[in-house]
Amino acid sequence: MFSFPLFKQTVKSNLVIWGAMTLVMTVLCIQFAALEMTQSLLFVIFYGMMTTILPGIYVLVTANKLLSSQVDSGSMAYVLSTPTRRFTVVFTQMIYLTGSLVVMFAVQTVGHLIANTAMPIALAKLGYIQLPGNLTNTMILQVNISALMVCIAMAGVCFLFSGIFNESKYSIGFSGTFIGIMILANMLAMFGKLGVGGLDNFKYITICSFYDYESILYGVNDWIIKMIFPIGIAVASFGIGSAWFCKKDLPL
Amino acid sequence: MEKIINISNLTKDYGDGRGIFDFSFDVKRGEVFGFVGTNGSGKTTTIRNMMGFIKPQNGKITINGNDSWKDACEIKKYVGYIPGQIDFPDVGTGTKFLKIQADFLGIKDLSYMNKLIDMFKLDTEASLNRMSKGMKQKTAIVAAFMSEPDILIMDEPSTGLDPMMRDKLIELILEQKEKGKTIFMSSHIFKELENTCDRVAFIHNGKIINIVDRAQHVENMDKQYQIGFAEKKEYQEFLKCNYEILNRNENYNHLTIKINDTEMNKLFKTLEPYNIRYINYQPYTLEWYYTNIIEKQEV
Repeated sequence: MFSFPLFKQTVKSNLVIWGAMTLVMTVLCIQFAALEMTQSLLFVIFYGMMTTILPGIYVLVTANKLLSSQVDSGSMAYVLSTPTRRFTVVFTQMIYLTGSLVVMFAVQTVGHLIANTAMPIALAKLGYIQLPGNLTNTMILQVNISALMVCIAMAGVCFLFSGIFNESKYSIGFSGTFIGIMILANMLAMFGKLGVGGLDNFKYITICSFYDYESILYGVNDWIIKMIFPIGIAVASFGIGSAWFCKKDLPL
Repeated sequence: MEKIINISNLTKDYGDGRGIFDFSFDVKRGEVFGFVGTNGSGKTTTIRNMMGFIKPQNGKITINGNDSWKDACEIKKYVGYIPGQIDFPDVGTGTKFLKIQADFLGIKDLSYMNKLIDMFKLDTEASLNRMSKGMKQKTAIVAAFMSEPDILIMDEPSTGLDPMMRDKLIELILEQKEKGKTIFMSSHIFKELENTCDRVAFIHNGKIINIVDRAQHVENMDKQYQIGFAEKKEYQEFLKCNYEILNRNENYNHLTIKINDTEMNKLFKTLEPYNIRYINYQPYTLEWYYTNIIEKQEV
């Protein structure tokens, strides 16, 4: 069910992009949290956009590399000509994709937790004037869990396309369109929230809306209920993608 | 002999007459089986079916009693594969790739792998991306043979190899055959099939045209000789004698006849008065066989 040699190979060949994204995310996060002038934008820019854009790009590129591009180039033949089941291949790649996102967010969260412990910020300073007290470590943890779930759902959809298509161009085309719409709509919805009239409705077409950091800051439990949807999307798309890959014809 | 690969009524229709239609044949244990056909005739499709990469629309393949689609993983335990399209995973050098393959196959002892690397004079430290076609092919050959599988399925294994390496490959195939391994290979290099195969299947436009036994192909066939005459007059005179003439050339005053060994003396008697420049024996090749059969099919 799980192939260690394949996992090792996958980690190695995706290390660079994973490392780069994780580094950029962590550095940006600490920078937004530590610098006086950017603190007010920590939630609007960093948690509002970066936590979906950067992992979004990462899953778009990586999901395609995990299945579709290997079938397209023919290199998948080497794994599948050894006693390795197709299901083992998809399962291992799926574990890598979700696992690498979890670690990516873990690294960034730890970075933020350290910064926040060293230098606590008042919620009022973050743009929520009506809220009392400081940004707590629990809040940071919850915000990141909520963002992670949405990213896993996006990863699932990209993985679904990667599992369906034998040609990289279709896989990356569909995944790219999907990620593009999600991120763009999220950004437009955010401008709507900041006061640009009409753009608010864009929140209905992006799954990023299920990532609700404001409810966490307000101390409401909405974010937990909203997590059900990305989890559902992730389970369904990973499931369909895997089943499809196991049953389709492979030109190897 | 035991049938180790059994293909029955295998059909995979890609539309527009492409695909393979109603293939039925079997490969016996310890046999080297060749698979010849023009580009797009269905060789690779058949091999992909054998490896369980594609699902047949009709019919089935069993390898060692296991269904090639349903028990694909089980089959890979004793099958080595050289794909027709060579592209390696993104792992860096040849050494790394072969080590990973050994991991997948559960091989601990790498001595046979190293022997193969020496045999093919392969520089495994080279980056996979920068390898020439021939080097890639050699790497793929090592990867397929290193576990010494019982059955080898190879899709045009000699692509990109220089003549010396091609001979090495033939040597390797014969060595494995000696050890009782079964080998199934597609090719359009007739030489390597002639030197190795016990039987050869000819396919064209997705249909099996003929399966030729090596014994039948070598012994019972008439032979071809090219005879060159010194003078045009004699050349024309010979044409009137009752021999089966395959082709003629007025410019060089030579012709090719087909004759059975039993008629040899008769031929020499006929030729006695003539002024002969040369007689060439033209070995029967699979190529000849192939073009003749294909031509007949096309007519």
